[in-house]
Amino acid sequence: MLRPMLSLAQLQVGDSAEVVAVRGQGAIAVRLLEMGFVPGSKVSVVKAAPFGDPLELRVRGYHVSLRLAEAARVEVAR
Amino acid sequence: MTIAIAGNPNVGKTSLFNVLTGSRHSVGNYPGVTVERRFGTLAARLLDASQGTEPLTFVDLPGTYSLTVASEDEAVAFRTLTGTDTEAPSVILLVLDASNLARNLYLAQQVLELGAPTVIALNMVDAAEQAGLAVDASQVGETLGVPVVATNARTGEGVEALVAALRSPPPAPDPTPIASAPQASDLAVAAEAMAGVTSPQRARWLVAACATEQLELARPSEAERQALAELPEGLAMRATTQLVARRYAQVDGLLDTLGYAEKIQGRAPTMDMSAKIDAVLTHRVWGLGVFVGVMALVFMSIFSFADPLMGLIEDGIGWLSTAAAAALGPGLFTELLTDGIIAGVGNVLVFVPQIALLFLFLGLLEDTGYLARAAFLLDRLMARLGLHGRAFIPLLSGYACSIPAIMGTRTITSFKDRVVTILMIPYMSCSARLPIYALIIGALFVSEDAWVTPGVDRGLVLLGMYLLSTVSALTMGYIYKRTILVSPTPALVLELPPYRMPRFGNTLLIVYDKTKAFVRDAGTVILAFTIVLWAVLSFPRDATGAGGDGPTVVAKSWGGEAARTLEPALEPIGQDWRVGVGILGSFAAREVLVSTLGLVYGMEADEDDPVQLRAALREDINAETGKRQHTPLSGLALMVFFVYACQCMSTLAVVRRETGGWKWPAFMFFSMTSIAYVAAFIVYQGGRLLGWG
Repeated sequence: MLRPMLSLAQLQVGDSAEVVAVRGQGAIAVRLLEMGFVPGSKVSVVKAAPFGDPLELRVRGYHVSLRLAEAARVEVAR
Repeated sequence: MTIAIAGNPNVGKTSLFNVLTGSRHSVGNYPGVTVERRFGTLAARLLDASQGTEPLTFVDLPGTYSLTVASEDEAVAFRTLTGTDTEAPSVILLVLDASNLARNLYLAQQVLELGAPTVIALNMVDAAEQAGLAVDASQVGETLGVPVVATNARTGEGVEALVAALRSPPPAPDPTPIASAPQASDLAVAAEAMAGVTSPQRARWLVAACATEQLELARPSEAERQALAELPEGLAMRATTQLVARRYAQVDGLLDTLGYAEKIQGRAPTMDMSAKIDAVLTHRVWGLGVFVGVMALVFMSIFSFADPLMGLIEDGIGWLSTAAAAALGPGLFTELLTDGIIAGVGNVLVFVPQIALLFLFLGLLEDTGYLARAAFLLDRLMARLGLHGRAFIPLLSGYACSIPAIMGTRTITSFKDRVVTILMIPYMSCSARLPIYALIIGALFVSEDAWVTPGVDRGLVLLGMYLLSTVSALTMGYIYKRTILVSPTPALVLELPPYRMPRFGNTLLIVYDKTKAFVRDAGTVILAFTIVLWAVLSFPRDATGAGGDGPTVVAKSWGGEAARTLEPALEPIGQDWRVGVGILGSFAAREVLVSTLGLVYGMEADEDDPVQLRAALREDINAETGKRQHTPLSGLALMVFFVYACQCMSTLAVVRRETGGWKWPAFMFFSMTSIAYVAAFIVYQGGRLLGWG
């Protein structure tokens, strides 16, 4: 059965999930992978900035901030 | 022997560089790019530990998360380490943050793949221990197969051992292999396609550079370029995804061996304390409040500390000038010396307090980790313009002074975005515009029938100028980003490092470097401009001799002549040739308008409170019309002109330094002056149509 694909941008603050893939190509996609968003990595949404964007995320034992636009490229599964 | 220092940002790499070199370092740019290059030789006190005769030279690479060529920073690191532009370093010193190995080991993996002699400094072992992430340096060394020395760049601990390790360079290890890709995987296909063209290691870097669409930055050969162009569509990206995943799989293996993996499972122990601080500092209400408070504090301190220092410098220059004039007696050479050279040196030095203070504050804020939070808080606003959150602070600094603000744009990685920000900054009303606004408002906005009260009216006019400048800066940024400097909004991939105590010593070194670079690179240009400007406003000299009659010399000078000739162009914006001379003179620095106008009107104008000059401006009658020459409307037009005009040669000198040529400063000058003229024209003529003039 097909599960609807979830992106990092759809998670709520406090949610955790596992990275499935990074969509698209180009420098940003490579950068996301290299910052630790590789398939299998656990990600949590720590907080959203005052205007709702960007997000503060926890991955591989550190905190990093991504905009919703970039977070939407990271496919995750709960 | 040359040692290149590589490492992630925020790992204490530059601290370690400073400890290793003492203050024996210099700052320059990498060839062809405005990426800062710091290099130095081993500090004298560490010479014993090195026990060698061959000098050790250190090059501090830009802090990068990866060596994959994706932007100028990584490209510089990659090309330096692989010896593309210059000879490859003898040893790579890789600095790792012991408290953040799960991500730091990715770069380690990449460096080891280069197969060059490598020594690892395992830094921040104390922070790791505090977070319960203690690791044993020798165990890390055994696991990675290269010498690992535990260091603490803050205290200097472990540095002697590190120097000894660097001095007896380990043999070049075999390039750490990437676990061979399964048959027919994209990675294997890409490797196959590149075989015979280049080495398997280099092929991987080039394929990854294709995936980031920055191949040229990796400087491929013609054969390599062709082979890559023939790869099937999308293969480079798929192969790179597999490559990164493979590296991280290797990192995960290492973390398991070190007993590190389970400790960070689903948490970030180093962030425990910082998360509590961030509950306030990045809170949606308190966070913004604190930010406004911090910025207000920074700017108030800059004004209150820099002002007296700038006063001291100006007094000192004035004293030197008087002393020189007294010693040499009147004459052309004396004038050249006092009004050209000494004044020019003064024009350079007067910026030093603001530059030093701004970089002191920015350095301390960066060091604590707060600047990353500021970018996080305000990114949304900057993203609307198409810029990175990092652009906010330089823009804001523009209200104080464009010079340090423009120098502060170095933190913006994309060159195009840096130029957009640089072009926006001079529109922000800097502190040097204030004396001009004050003069004009004080002289001309004294109407008897005020809207509210004269005081409030004047305040509103001043506020209007600041609003106009802010809106204009944002609008121009929006336009530039979408016309001449088109590039996608840079992605925000911003590490929020743990809060740390700032290090004064390091910050002072940065302040020293920045100030020195300004005096050296921009200072010479400013000095030259001052001398030229002096000549334009004091030649040709009449037969009656030098000195004496100030106003006539200025009026008859080339500058005065030019302003008279240009008077037909000044009339439509409500100005006469006298103001024209003032505008010309204010190119040295905007506030010079006050003293130049004073000279034209034949009086010594006190810059702080030019009472006489205000009266002279107010009562100046136009001989032809018999009406007042300066009205509130012409004053408004002049202020609007100064909101937009790039009347500051120092700004242009700094832009030249930061953009590496005269193209952008020339564009800045001509575009801003044109906009200033058109805006002043619209204000004056529009006002007259509405019957205000």
